[in-house]
Amino acid sequence: MNKKIRVLVAKPGLDGHDRGALVISQALRDYGMEVIYTGLRQTPQQIVAAAVQEDVDAIGLSCLSGAHNELFPEVMALLKERGADDIIVVGGGVIPWEDIPFLESAGVQKIFTPGTPTIETAKFIEAAVHARDGYTVSIGMEPPKKIDHIGIAVESLDEVLPFYVNTLGLKLEAIEEVPSQNVKVAFIKIGESRLELLEPLSEQSPIRQFITKRGQGVHHVALGVEGISERIGELKNAGIKMIQEKPVKGAGDASIAFIHPSSSHKVLFELCDKTEIEGGAS
Amino acid sequence: MIKHQERVKKWKLATEKSMQRFPERKERFETSSKFEISRLYGADQVNYDIEKLGLPGEYPYTRGIQPTMYRARYWTMRQYAGFGSAEETNKRFRYLLQQGQTGLSVAFDLPTQIGYDSDHSMSKGEVGKVGVAIDSLEDMEALLREIPLDQVSTSMTINAPASVLLAMYIVVAEKQGISPDKISGTIQNDILKEYIARGTYIFPPKPSMRLITDIFAYCKEQVPKWNTISISGYHIREAGANAVQELAFTIANGKAYVDAAIEAGLNIDDFAPRLAFFFNAHNQFFEEIAKFRAARRIWAKLMKDTYGAQNPKSWQLRFHTQTGGSTLTAQQPDNNIVRVTLQALAAVMGGTQSLHTNSRDEALALPTEDSARIALRTQQIIAHESGVADTVDPLAGSYYVEHLTDVMEEEAGKYLEKIESLGGAVAAVEQGYMQREIHHTAYETQKAIEKGEEIIVGMNSFTLENEVRPELLRVDPTLGEKQKEKLKQLRNSRDEDRASARLETLRQGAKGTENLMPLIVDCVRDYCTIGEICGILREEFGEYAGV
Repeated sequence: MNKKIRVLVAKPGLDGHDRGALVISQALRDYGMEVIYTGLRQTPQQIVAAAVQEDVDAIGLSCLSGAHNELFPEVMALLKERGADDIIVVGGGVIPWEDIPFLESAGVQKIFTPGTPTIETAKFIEAAVHARDGYTVSIGMEPPKKIDHIGIAVESLDEVLPFYVNTLGLKLEAIEEVPSQNVKVAFIKIGESRLELLEPLSEQSPIRQFITKRGQGVHHVALGVEGISERIGELKNAGIKMIQEKPVKGAGDASIAFIHPSSSHKVLFELCDKTEIEGGAS
Repeated sequence: MIKHQERVKKWKLATEKSMQRFPERKERFETSSKFEISRLYGADQVNYDIEKLGLPGEYPYTRGIQPTMYRARYWTMRQYAGFGSAEETNKRFRYLLQQGQTGLSVAFDLPTQIGYDSDHSMSKGEVGKVGVAIDSLEDMEALLREIPLDQVSTSMTINAPASVLLAMYIVVAEKQGISPDKISGTIQNDILKEYIARGTYIFPPKPSMRLITDIFAYCKEQVPKWNTISISGYHIREAGANAVQELAFTIANGKAYVDAAIEAGLNIDDFAPRLAFFFNAHNQFFEEIAKFRAARRIWAKLMKDTYGAQNPKSWQLRFHTQTGGSTLTAQQPDNNIVRVTLQALAAVMGGTQSLHTNSRDEALALPTEDSARIALRTQQIIAHESGVADTVDPLAGSYYVEHLTDVMEEEAGKYLEKIESLGGAVAAVEQGYMQREIHHTAYETQKAIEKGEEIIVGMNSFTLENEVRPELLRVDPTLGEKQKEKLKQLRNSRDEDRASARLETLRQGAKGTENLMPLIVDCVRDYCTIGEICGILREEFGEYAGV
């Protein structure tokens, strides 16, 4: 079970503007986190001491006085000194864009500029903490839209097709070869989804290896998604292992990538993005 | 009249019918303070009592404190400025005066505002950032170099250590050969709103109130043209309050200062004419105008009827206005020029005595010179081109504005009663009452924005994919070191025995009950630093720890 995420919201330096700090504290609480607010005028030493003592997962630094370039890196250095640099640190306030790369290189995970919805900050902290702790949770993005297809490994298309087409009466859409996977693929339309029958073309084909090891049968489930590259990034952030870290071309010109079964409880999932083929994001 | 009522009735029926085909944009329209706004205001909602409105320059001053208002003289265009070193800020001041600005307004950095020298460990990273760094009289001399202090009025945003900065100003004037009775200006000196909203407090409430009333008494004798306090709703609003909360909490704080001064033995008409106010000009145009008009009326009644002040100057609520900093967006910053224009217009329609217009880039950093100039030009365009300054209180008699003015007065009255029941503003602050009310409103506002119920153009609607990033002002990051070096030299060159003796006298004074202002003036003259002076007072008074 996931325990509640604990966050220290802190005001380093002499700045007295705490509207933002108070609002974000309450928003994180409403999101389900435990929040400790330090109050005004905290030195980096006090902030780090409080973070360690309270055993927090994350620190949110708020500064509107322009002292961020001095104070935020000092917090990071002290966390490291105390061996507490696994604490996720984010920041906000009146912070010019050009300072953000500097602060991020000092180890601040993200700077939220004015106008950021509080929910975005909450989700970021949650994802970062979960990634650190190795939880694999769905994050940020829309869930997959549908099952694009189910992949079935077969010895020979010619042998099995009559069952699907004649016996079940489904429609054969197309047969094509996918050189990247060394397979010949038949698509069978079923409702808004498909069955994808996969026949190995060579001994090197992953389908051949699959059949040798486990026999013919269900090989993978393909999830229909949009924005596949971003989704791969999000999944990686959440600690998910990918077989392909960048999308490759699959059957039907779709962009695809497989999730490593070690990250998905032994089921092989494919992410399958057909948005561009079907007319792109309009 | 009967005929008119018949007509209104018919109009209502016809309107409701047409609304079935063309419904209104929302079920309920409301102001920032959540008053419901009617579809139409007419004579029936407004009580045209001449006693309530008065005439311009007459009690209860709903229509303004001067009979001719801007027909005689425009409001003072007073841009708040200050950053980095005293020398740099002095350059910006002289530039602004050259551009037609008519008053100065000094922003101090946070160490100065909290009474730390630039070499204090708490000052790290903050020196010169949000304003100018002032450690000693030497810096103040550099800040005001070649500015004729008998010809400009200077507003200083300084609160907890207000006595120290005022003392420095007096001594610099003295050195220019100008006696204290010739200088004019304002110190903010409003500690209660620091506890509530702004955060630059030092001492606990009781000694803080003493420092304030000491200033009242001292200025009455020595610096009669000085506004001894600027009772500020501005920061309360910025912290998230709505218009009626801003109004009510400011008036409640004002009452607390009056009570403290009376308790210290001062006569109301000896200090009340020098009390000034400072409000925010926010987005809702009519509600803001109503707020300013209601503020004057509430204060006048309070001073005349409750406190029995005799001098009409004591009844008049004079105020400075600044446009709402928290309304500015980091996205599409040029849009902020338009927001500022509308807010500034509301301040002028509400009869402000002076005005600061924010710069377009302030959600990102301190303003650049270009941005600061556009902000000043905005005021000049309103003054010289729009014609709104050519008659007094042009919106008087508007059914809607008069109705809103009445509502503001009424609703603020409810808050004032509540605060009274908690034991007055000081007690309410100590109980965290205002702080909680403000935070509640701030959070509701945030949620409304995130749900899209409140539209912020360029931020949650009408956004751009690729924002152009403007040039921003950078403050010299080595300034902290330079100030430290200056302090070291100062401590070597001044008469150390004299300085220590002055500080010791101040300590004895703080233990007793005498007026501390003359002692602080002596300290400053002998180059004691702000950190040393506030350090002594910290030791004697203790520090406020927050609620």
